[in-house]
Amino acid sequence: MKKKHKGALGIALLLPIIIIMAVLVYYPIIKTFSYSLQKMKLTAPQDTGFVGLANYRSVLESDSFWYSLQNTLFLLVVVVLFTTVFGICVALMLNVDTKISGLLMAAAVLPWALPPVVNGIIWRFIFYPGYGFMNKLLIGLGVIDQPIEWMSHRFLLLFVVAVVVAWRSIPFTAIVCLAGLRAIPHEFYEAARIDGAGRWSSFRYITGPLMLPFIGIGITSASITAINIFDEIVALAGYSDLGKNLLIESYLTTFSFLDFGKGSALTYIIMLISAILGFFYLRNLTREVEY
Amino acid sequence: MKTKGGKVLYFIVVVIFLIFTAGPFIWAFSVSVTPEFEMFKNTMSMLPSKLNWDNYVTLFTASSRQNKILFQGMFNSLKAVGITLLIGLPVALMSAYSLARLEFKGKKLIKNAILITMVIPVFATVIPLYRIFVSYQLLDKMFWLSLVYASSFLPMSIWLMINYFSTIPVEIEEAARVDGCGRIRTFFEILMPIAYPVVISSALIMFLSAWNQFQIPLILASSFQTKPVSIVTSEFMVKDSIQYGITAAAGLLAIVPPAATALILRKYLVSGMTRGTGK
Repeated sequence: MKKKHKGALGIALLLPIIIIMAVLVYYPIIKTFSYSLQKMKLTAPQDTGFVGLANYRSVLESDSFWYSLQNTLFLLVVVVLFTTVFGICVALMLNVDTKISGLLMAAAVLPWALPPVVNGIIWRFIFYPGYGFMNKLLIGLGVIDQPIEWMSHRFLLLFVVAVVVAWRSIPFTAIVCLAGLRAIPHEFYEAARIDGAGRWSSFRYITGPLMLPFIGIGITSASITAINIFDEIVALAGYSDLGKNLLIESYLTTFSFLDFGKGSALTYIIMLISAILGFFYLRNLTREVEY
Repeated sequence: MKTKGGKVLYFIVVVIFLIFTAGPFIWAFSVSVTPEFEMFKNTMSMLPSKLNWDNYVTLFTASSRQNKILFQGMFNSLKAVGITLLIGLPVALMSAYSLARLEFKGKKLIKNAILITMVIPVFATVIPLYRIFVSYQLLDKMFWLSLVYASSFLPMSIWLMINYFSTIPVEIEEAARVDGCGRIRTFFEILMPIAYPVVISSALIMFLSAWNQFQIPLILASSFQTKPVSIVTSEFMVKDSIQYGITAAAGLLAIVPPAATALILRKYLVSGMTRGTGK
């Protein structure tokens, strides 16, 4: 009797989130799928109807899709790499207890609090194509003679976007990794020292392996950030064709060209890619760590 | 940090870290106080010849167009933050308590169904929501807009809270219940005093997420009364594209509320995240 009551309470407490998720997430997702199977252009509101997978075919046949997919994948690799490597470095730095650790923690939190679009705006001044900070610096150091047009070359632009996004996502990875570092029992290091392990082998055989699940959370969260980059590209390069990724492409298809059918199909393809990441995400999020 | 080499390495890492973290803010500030004519001039000097506060004066002059746009945006964002916190925190706490403390059929399924939505791209839900908002005339309604924001980051808060709750031994609550303390009292008087860091860090994450929204309001908030500060700031750049100084100044002002809140609450952020992710 008591157990039954507990179960009813469990469901009752979940009712608000179930309603919110059902109405604002799951229902729209199903609706988007039904849009993706229809001909649905707001420019021709009368001309609608079921077209099967035609929208998906039209997406997969367009060069624009493959171009933006390449851009998304490039951003994914660079952002994840930078975020993870520097995130771990920052975590190791924050884990050292000194007089300035408090200040460093404050500085580390700051980029994370920034609206992504403002982040893009701020960095735009650094990579300003004419005499922005970066060009002034590089010319001053004698590395280049002429200012670099950061926003006019495809991979240079994408690289800048990746740096800017990584800068904002490093703090999260760093704090998660710091959590991992602090969770390692101190006795492990002492035991290793007694057994004659050096600093490097302690790191290699204790810190590294025990940090892995936390690095996993960092990597998956960075991947999701990377696939969903939008604000920074808009702030740095606008809705130009050069630096567009899948999200910009889907935004333009849906809300500029008002092709809701094709836009929905495109969004579903993005979701499929995210779902693969999501699988690893869930596995990381729900994994137990044994010490 | 005992060896000399270690100290030198630490020092180098700290300096690089501080330059990379503070640099962009300092440069943006420098742009915001540089007179327009010398901003991107062919000069090698990094700093303006004299401080020019005009951009800030314009933004703080109550009668200026820029002032109205920027501060209405700030006000809209604050309102969205308020609504999402009022709805989001209780909902997240109820859900996390249920998923962490109670046993019932289908629990795992519901938990996964909530958590998996963290990876869904915003546009997958916003395309139909746009049509719903149009047909029910919700495009100017702050409440519904904020609810959509909340639905996008509630899973993250719930996940943090579940993990935090599960690090707290359930025996403490059971003992209180044996002593005749009701479930609701146990929650507020036993669990909350232990778990409050994760509540504060979740509130902070909600604040920042609501303040930082861009993709959702880009589509669902078209009016002066709902447009958040992030959209407004980006429009400064398009509409006032020649005036970099005022864009930089507006951008810096737009980050004051979230940055200040994050700095004040950073202690809870770290402790909440530490146990919230360190399951």
